[in-house]
Amino acid sequence: MLLASVDYTRPATVPEALEALASREGAAPLAGGQSLVNVLKNRVASVELLVDISRLEELRSIEASEGSLEIGACVTYDEIDRSPEIRAGHEIVSRVASHIEDQQIRNRGTIGGNCCLSDPTNNLPPLLIALGATMNIQSGSGLRQVAADEFFRGYFLTAVEPGEILRSISIPALGEGAGAGYSTLSVASDSKAIVRAAALVRGNGTIDEARVALAVVGPVPIRHSGMEEALRGGAATADAAREAAEAIGEDLEPIADAHGSTEYRRQMARVVARRAVDEAIARGGENG
Amino acid sequence: MSAPSAPSAPSAETVVAPVEPGERLGKWSGKSVPRTEDRRLLKGQGEFTDDVWMHRQGYAHFARSPHGHAKILSIDTSRALSLDGVHAVLTGEEAKEMCEVPFFQIAPEPAGRLEEWPLAVDKVRYHGDAVAVVLAESRDVARDAAELVEVEYEPLPVVVDTVAAADPDAPLLHDEAGTNVAWHGVFDYGDIDWALENADHVVKIDRLHFHRFSSTPLECNAAVVNWDPGTGVVDVKSNNQMPMFASMVIGPTLGVASNKLQFASQDIGGAFGNKIGSYPQIAALALLSRKAGRPAKWTEYRQEHMLTAGHGNERTFLDIEVPVLKDGTILGFKVRAFDDAGAYLHYEPLGAVIWSQVTPGCYRLKHIQVDYTETLTNKCPTIPNRGYSRLQHLWLIERIVDTVARELDFDPVEVRKQNYVQPDDYPYETPSGCVYDSGDLPRSLEVALELIDVKGWRARQRELGTGSGKRIGIGIGSTLDSGTNNFGQARIINPDLPFSGNGEAAYVKLDLYGEINVDIGTTPQGQGHETTAGQVVADVLGVEPSAVNVSAGFDQRHNTYVAFSGTYASQFAVTGLGAVLGGAEMLRREIVTLAAFALEADEDEIEVEGGACHVRGDPERAIPFIGIANLAFSNNAVLTPELRERISLNCRYVYTPPFTVPDPETKTGELTLTYASQIHAAAVEIDEETGRLEILDYVAVDDCGRVINPQIVEGQVQGAAALGIGAALYEAFEYDADGLLQQSSFYDYHALTALDMPMMKYADIESPSPFTPNGAKGMGEGGGAPLSTLCSAIQDALGDGDALVADSHNPWFRIHELLGGGADGAPRAVRVESR
Amino acid sequence: MSDAGMVHPITVTINGERYARTVQARKLLVHFIRDELALKGTHIGCDTGNCGACSIIVNGKLIKSCMMLAVQADGATIETIEGLEAEGELTPVQRAFHEHHGLQCGYCTPGMVMSATYLLRGNPDPSEEEIRRAIRGNICRCTGYVNIVRSVKAAAGAGEPAAADRAEASR
Repeated sequence: MLLASVDYTRPATVPEALEALASREGAAPLAGGQSLVNVLKNRVASVELLVDISRLEELRSIEASEGSLEIGACVTYDEIDRSPEIRAGHEIVSRVASHIEDQQIRNRGTIGGNCCLSDPTNNLPPLLIALGATMNIQSGSGLRQVAADEFFRGYFLTAVEPGEILRSISIPALGEGAGAGYSTLSVASDSKAIVRAAALVRGNGTIDEARVALAVVGPVPIRHSGMEEALRGGAATADAAREAAEAIGEDLEPIADAHGSTEYRRQMARVVARRAVDEAIARGGENG
Repeated sequence: MSAPSAPSAPSAETVVAPVEPGERLGKWSGKSVPRTEDRRLLKGQGEFTDDVWMHRQGYAHFARSPHGHAKILSIDTSRALSLDGVHAVLTGEEAKEMCEVPFFQIAPEPAGRLEEWPLAVDKVRYHGDAVAVVLAESRDVARDAAELVEVEYEPLPVVVDTVAAADPDAPLLHDEAGTNVAWHGVFDYGDIDWALENADHVVKIDRLHFHRFSSTPLECNAAVVNWDPGTGVVDVKSNNQMPMFASMVIGPTLGVASNKLQFASQDIGGAFGNKIGSYPQIAALALLSRKAGRPAKWTEYRQEHMLTAGHGNERTFLDIEVPVLKDGTILGFKVRAFDDAGAYLHYEPLGAVIWSQVTPGCYRLKHIQVDYTETLTNKCPTIPNRGYSRLQHLWLIERIVDTVARELDFDPVEVRKQNYVQPDDYPYETPSGCVYDSGDLPRSLEVALELIDVKGWRARQRELGTGSGKRIGIGIGSTLDSGTNNFGQARIINPDLPFSGNGEAAYVKLDLYGEINVDIGTTPQGQGHETTAGQVVADVLGVEPSAVNVSAGFDQRHNTYVAFSGTYASQFAVTGLGAVLGGAEMLRREIVTLAAFALEADEDEIEVEGGACHVRGDPERAIPFIGIANLAFSNNAVLTPELRERISLNCRYVYTPPFTVPDPETKTGELTLTYASQIHAAAVEIDEETGRLEILDYVAVDDCGRVINPQIVEGQVQGAAALGIGAALYEAFEYDADGLLQQSSFYDYHALTALDMPMMKYADIESPSPFTPNGAKGMGEGGGAPLSTLCSAIQDALGDGDALVADSHNPWFRIHELLGGGADGAPRAVRVESR
Repeated sequence: MSDAGMVHPITVTINGERYARTVQARKLLVHFIRDELALKGTHIGCDTGNCGACSIIVNGKLIKSCMMLAVQADGATIETIEGLEAEGELTPVQRAFHEHHGLQCGYCTPGMVMSATYLLRGNPDPSEEEIRRAIRGNICRCTGYVNIVRSVKAAAGAGEPAAADRAEASR
């Protein structure tokens, strides 16, 4: 398919990019383009100016210090997969990135794009929510921070306002006794997600803190406070996880489509949430 | 009998070869000669249709209906025409005015009255129906302009359910036909009433449903069409896989004689039957070219392909009754079948008879009654899809056999072996008069089960028990690949159609410098015709295959052809190679005649070997092929008048199968010449919590008679298996209540990937056909065996529950539902009446 | 309305040859390669980045050229299927596909060969799982991937030997 007419600019710096984005309505940042180009082919969005930020070195760095990470928005999935720093402190982030679509898409697609083109089936958003990540948003007037669980606002809608870009994503250290888990039920071996869950569990025998994020159960990934509360203070066991997952129910109203009914997705949300928590508990001692 | 090939062996090993030595098979036929085609394709030097470029060409883009069914109130092309770079816009009404007659219809009255034109006229009948086509200087501008074609629609009620469409009160698609029923007839073989009355048990199944999908070749449809204003020649470079059928349909519509409608293609990026259906677009492009005075180039977009290029037949089976004897003998079955043709009849309603090539499947069923209705619905027109019309029927029979085994407590393996056509039954005449030529189905099944170690999986299944969260299931699919159609079966659909028989043509020539050049009427799409034709000719003429030049692709200007030419319906090994073999033998006789003349020897003393002829026992008395060519082409005064008259070294041979005309009254006849078989077996594991299925082991045992090129045959089996596995688990075209297609890209329509496909096992049994010149049988389509196999495996994994695997498409949620006992509140779908 | 949008000068080096052209921003890299430069070996099968028939290597990275704008490739060094062979010889990957019948219609083949080539550059001895993951973004509708996986294994030197008669018949 073919795009509608569009203008293009490739600024040399972040401030120039912000200026270009503010210059006219219908300006949009283009990074790896692995979602946006498809959107443009479908001619569903009215983009008039593409601001190519994919080569901005300021957005392409990975910083690690004392277990925490700051990943530039234009770092590709493949770079995340292969980064020794990320593999060391947040193996799960590398692993999830390594399962995004295919090698070609991982070579172009960026973590920023995965978040900003907020499709409910995207891989990284639920994980970033579970890990308590912070989204660093840059505008002409400065940098502001938004927690990952408040970043996603709707289909293709995020906390990034016109004239802003997502600059980087900060992921805190997992810390002592914490583990993370991730589970997806997908069409076929690893195609489109039917439902996803990510979890972070902290504690030693007893769960002190639990964060459970679910995706493809609504327009945006969400934290499931009911399941989190059910886990908190309980034993870090598979049985406890199973019981806590029962908290997922009528509160969710996932869409029905060719891959499952609303009720099937609800049930599967329980399954993948439990599996993610099981993994988080198991990895607790291994630092994620 | 030798042992089956090892599971991991890459090539076919002959397991059984119980027939007389195939004297026609020589040094090269029967060997895995690497393909001639590969080199250009591996280097990116193939020529696919989008690679074709014509001087002054414009790019075409179709404007298509966003509705499932709507009246066209008005079309305004002025905004589109005002765009810079737009050459022309053609609407349905204009197209109709430029045409002589609507497209020819196969259906009898009343459905035969329906009128189809190159573009929709007055109303659109499905999501994606083409209302206009734009020609512009670039692809981009063509799309921009197509979006500016303003169409005012008045939506009409839609009907997307096959069975509901037959209701006289259903929304009517074609007013001129006055009915949505494209065809109805009862196929009544044996005496089903007697069988039902005299059976010990009657197994009744309320409903089975075979879903809509297609093979979605990776290259979409494409054509570059030029209506030359000077000569009136319409040049069609396209990837249509049955160009002579296309020519017969659109020639009269366009008012163009056959010698002015010139089809050509070189490389085709997969077709699987789906590319029979591009003739309406080609006709529209011809008219667009005529109007614009420029060549029109069109390459279908994937979305367009999914919406409009043709889907496989969806079929609903109702009120199935199966008479069974105490000892496990299945007497036959009775069923009401509703087949969904979509909005127009493209090649349909031939599907209404094609299935009866395999009326009893692999079994000795005698009493079969099929009440068959094909309906028009507001969906994409169906088009032959690998296994066309037989795979639905074979799936029905395999579901019946599994259900009988389960309900009556027979072993699914034993009940199959017992009811299969037996090795000494061949040639076996089926109730519909078809003759199964050869085979060994029980042995094929045994080999399949050995290769996946079925005993090991059964033990594992018991061991897992309950509580593990996993289920193991073992499934079998027994299918036939009927090849080489007798087009006389069209008369069973419409007795007035003057069609019968089949055939293919080939030229085999000794050219000016003694080269061996071959042209065939086929349009290969990966089947390796250049290679296998070379093998056959090499054997006849005593040369290496590399010394045989087979033209790449098809070009009506120089290739020979008959009306049935093309590549479809599993027939190349018989018709195509039959023609090549006949042509090569003619040429050999001419070469021998000239050699005998030149060497002053008797013809029976001449040996043909290594590109030369010599007198037996005297290699010095020899003449090379170039010398033979010289005599015929440039030195003919030395010949006798009789030889000059008779010898051309240009040998055209038309292979025609020995068919007679079927009987439309009884709906019987020899509908196909050969019957290859594929027996598949699989072990699967199902995750109880999610319904997710994983294939643990998978095998196909193929028997297609004499194999010309084992690795090509194995590749065909693997490819057909993959498409079947994909269809069984992932691939479906579904419409919502408004008639809108839900899967129109590879995001929604999951074409299986390398991660989804197991390293399947393969074995080969060779039961040569007594009916073909080379003992080969047509193959390649397969009978959709994976659909039967995986449904059988899922059913097996369900154990003793009530749930019936009643749909051919089983995504995770459906398997999960079956594990839970089936859809909520659904009545038990199977009943047994015993006496 | 016209087919406006700014045009942008770009320079790319494809298979060692330098091309300087102007393109509209909306032009996909694959259309630039096929329609403007007439390099027809890079194919289009899906329009949505699912099928991988348009896979090429840009600055050493395997990408899908239908998912990148031509203007984004400005300054890039690109390899396409046409650039793989050296002096008319097939590469080991291409040869393995030929010997193991790793292609039928040949339409997915250029993309498949590019993906296999990219894999083996970074991982000369891949497992079957790694091979399958490496070609997961390349759809083939003809082969069921069985012989493609075998071909890539063979190209890596770890494959099963071709059947004896294939060697004998080798041309």
